[in-house]
Amino acid sequence: MKPAALGPDKKLSGRLGTGAWYKEIWKHRMTYTLLIPGLIWLILFAYLPMGGLSLAFKDYKASEGILGSPWVGFENFKYVFRDPNFIDAVWRTLYINIIKLVIMFPVPILLALALNELRMRKTKKWFQTIFTFPQFLSWIIVSGIVINVLSYDGLVNSALQLLGLPTINFLGSEEMFLPMLIITDIWKSAGWGAIIFLAAISGIDQDQYESSQIDGASRMQQIFKITLPNILPTVSVMFILNVGGIMSAGFDQIFNLANAATQNVSQVLDVYIYRVTFQSSTDFSFSTAVSLFRSLVNMFLLLGANKVAKLMGGDGLFR
Amino acid sequence: MRMKKAFKPLMAIAMSAVMLTATACSSETASTGGNEKDENGKYKDKLTISVAQTTEVKDGVLDNEFHKYWMDKFNIEWDYNYIQWDSWAEKLRLWINSGDLPDVASWNYVHGDFMNYVDQGLLYKFPDDWKERWPNVAAAYKETGLGDKLEELTGGTYILPKPVYYENKPADPLVNQIGVIAMRKDWAEAVGFELKDAYTTSEIMKYAELVKEKDPGKLGSKLIPISYNADDALTNIIMANSEHSRVESAYYKGEDGKFHWGPADPETLTGLKLMQKAYKEGLLDPEFYTWKNNEGSNNFKVKGVAAVTSLGGLASYRQDMDKAMKTNLGVNSDELVHTAIVLGDDGKYRNLEQPNFWSSLIFSPDISKEKFERIMDLIDYSTSKEGQLLLNMGFEGKDWKYGENNELVSLLPEGTSLEDKYPARFEGLYVLGDDFSMINPAIKKDYRETAVKHFQNKAKLGTEGGKLATYDWDVQLYDSKPKSQATFEYQNEYANLILQSGDLETNWKKWVQSKQSLVQPVLDELNSKFAN
Repeated sequence: MKPAALGPDKKLSGRLGTGAWYKEIWKHRMTYTLLIPGLIWLILFAYLPMGGLSLAFKDYKASEGILGSPWVGFENFKYVFRDPNFIDAVWRTLYINIIKLVIMFPVPILLALALNELRMRKTKKWFQTIFTFPQFLSWIIVSGIVINVLSYDGLVNSALQLLGLPTINFLGSEEMFLPMLIITDIWKSAGWGAIIFLAAISGIDQDQYESSQIDGASRMQQIFKITLPNILPTVSVMFILNVGGIMSAGFDQIFNLANAATQNVSQVLDVYIYRVTFQSSTDFSFSTAVSLFRSLVNMFLLLGANKVAKLMGGDGLFR
Repeated sequence: MRMKKAFKPLMAIAMSAVMLTATACSSETASTGGNEKDENGKYKDKLTISVAQTTEVKDGVLDNEFHKYWMDKFNIEWDYNYIQWDSWAEKLRLWINSGDLPDVASWNYVHGDFMNYVDQGLLYKFPDDWKERWPNVAAAYKETGLGDKLEELTGGTYILPKPVYYENKPADPLVNQIGVIAMRKDWAEAVGFELKDAYTTSEIMKYAELVKEKDPGKLGSKLIPISYNADDALTNIIMANSEHSRVESAYYKGEDGKFHWGPADPETLTGLKLMQKAYKEGLLDPEFYTWKNNEGSNNFKVKGVAAVTSLGGLASYRQDMDKAMKTNLGVNSDELVHTAIVLGDDGKYRNLEQPNFWSSLIFSPDISKEKFERIMDLIDYSTSKEGQLLLNMGFEGKDWKYGENNELVSLLPEGTSLEDKYPARFEGLYVLGDDFSMINPAIKKDYRETAVKHFQNKAKLGTEGGKLATYDWDVQLYDSKPKSQATFEYQNEYANLILQSGDLETNWKKWVQSKQSLVQPVLDELNSKFAN
């Protein structure tokens, strides 16, 4: 899928010349006008705040502002890397999110494929609503439900007791923390994630299915030979985006589900940043240094995933 | 024509942006006015004063007689900002740093932040003559000790630390009110456990074991023998055995004149072992570490399923417990509750020497002179004897009177508290309620006397063979990046340690070792600056 050439494409401007290039823009002026709000939003909320990253190299004083605060070079990073909790948090973030990615990424695809196979429209919509609904619950509510269900006097343990079975310490078990994260995340977000893949599936040319039916292809063969190859570019883009967010995923979920018993397996980088920013003495420079480090790792992961996707024959996100 | 068409959407976007910017940049017009008074001694100009407090003021409450009295007397209108307890620190931090601090706000003083704020001009500097102009405030301020120390560091007054006690200090030395437990008196009698004013941690565990074994309340699996959350367990088990195990006293100067880190002391391990024993024997709730805020004490006073809970040493806490038990369980707590202080297993009493302040009042650096003076007038009045009586007893002749022996007599109907009649009395901005609670007749005399007895026992036991963690001004007022970085949530760290599998001592040693890269630089700094 090639994106529409709206920007000052080098080939286009080279072919048309500068004057013709401006003419081309003028010709599509309404389209460009529609782009303006989005561009303003992007500049205001994505690019301008990047100036704040300079705090990582400054000793921030609120009264002097971001620009006026004195430069301190890599001083903040010296403190960041001295903290063993930071190093632990980096590895734990990678560990948790890579496992989540491996296990969770295929789930929305499978769900989309399954929903697509439902032939009765009403049933399909009903299931889609059921699977999508949890996405609209905040993690505070979801964690409240999980804690009530899994606590010692919760639903599950009460049922176990009634059956004469021993109770299980779900909430205080380090071993069960990661499975709990994965299961609750799948429950909450798989339905929402499936929408994108369902949209991709709905864009597949129906002639392909009709032809395959004439050739006697089974439903499974249609899925593997037509549906999956057609949605592969979407899968590839979603995978790259997921990899690019590995270091910054899951704060709300982990923060709300963790407790003292699981703190050794739950302090991910975002929880660490929250703690150093808000729970000890204020140090915005220090927390910005940690955030910058996280963003850099995310960027390298994104570039790496993009490269791998292209090596495997996909389009990637960018060239 | 086509040009015009294209220009329209651009213009619309540009105009919207301008409007948005204009709206965002406009701020409320600040009330201005002087503090001149008319012939009746009333302020001529009305001032709108923004205030931020943790007292919840519900809709319509400001219309009641009590709040109106203050607003009329000082001719002010409150712009009240309620801050939830849980977001107090964060909200204030953001307001201060972004220059959005209301005119006056309660702030949970953090020394490192305070020094930064002063350095950056984010707090209002008091006029040099403020102590002469508002003598009641100055007298209460002096009692905190912190005010004078901070003036030495900053060269002026930027903050009013709130005095815990002003005219009704219960004991000397003052020991922190924490470390008082409540236990079921009726169950103790049923299981043959002696009632005393002080117990060692093991004695309390023994009592809990007896209750668990004999179940005098017939609660079965619902019974929670010791209903502590992680913080309560730190206070009543670990601190009782190791006075330097809490964040307030973790860095301390030892007898050798050098600085140490309390959590690495063997006494802390003793406390941890006792806590783990209590957990493993099922005396603590299996999920005590997930409890937030009042869940631990609610098991005692709301659900009635706990044998022991953490209470704290203020008479008002005991009164609240009495009310909660009456409301929720329909019982008279006087027949069921016994309170006591907790000793270490070696019989020694440990706690923290109490500096006479808790949290503070700060003012916006942009506050007008008139507003500042008006607020200070109000605070000065609220700190006076008349103001304290009004705040804590209501209106004389209507809510209270002097008795035959000049004692305070409440006129409120039985079962009605001043809070019921005049909810959210936030106007007591400065002196904390702890002071008046010592003499407040709205609190049962028995509770007040017991509170004083506990304070006096703590002071006596703490100084005669006990171990009180002294409030070291050098350490407390020292601020550095390593010190900020080496701050831990000890209650969660300890809970995690006792829950880990394997040998506790080995795990504790490993934990101590893991913190050294952060702790040692702080000790080095403190030793280089303050060691003998």
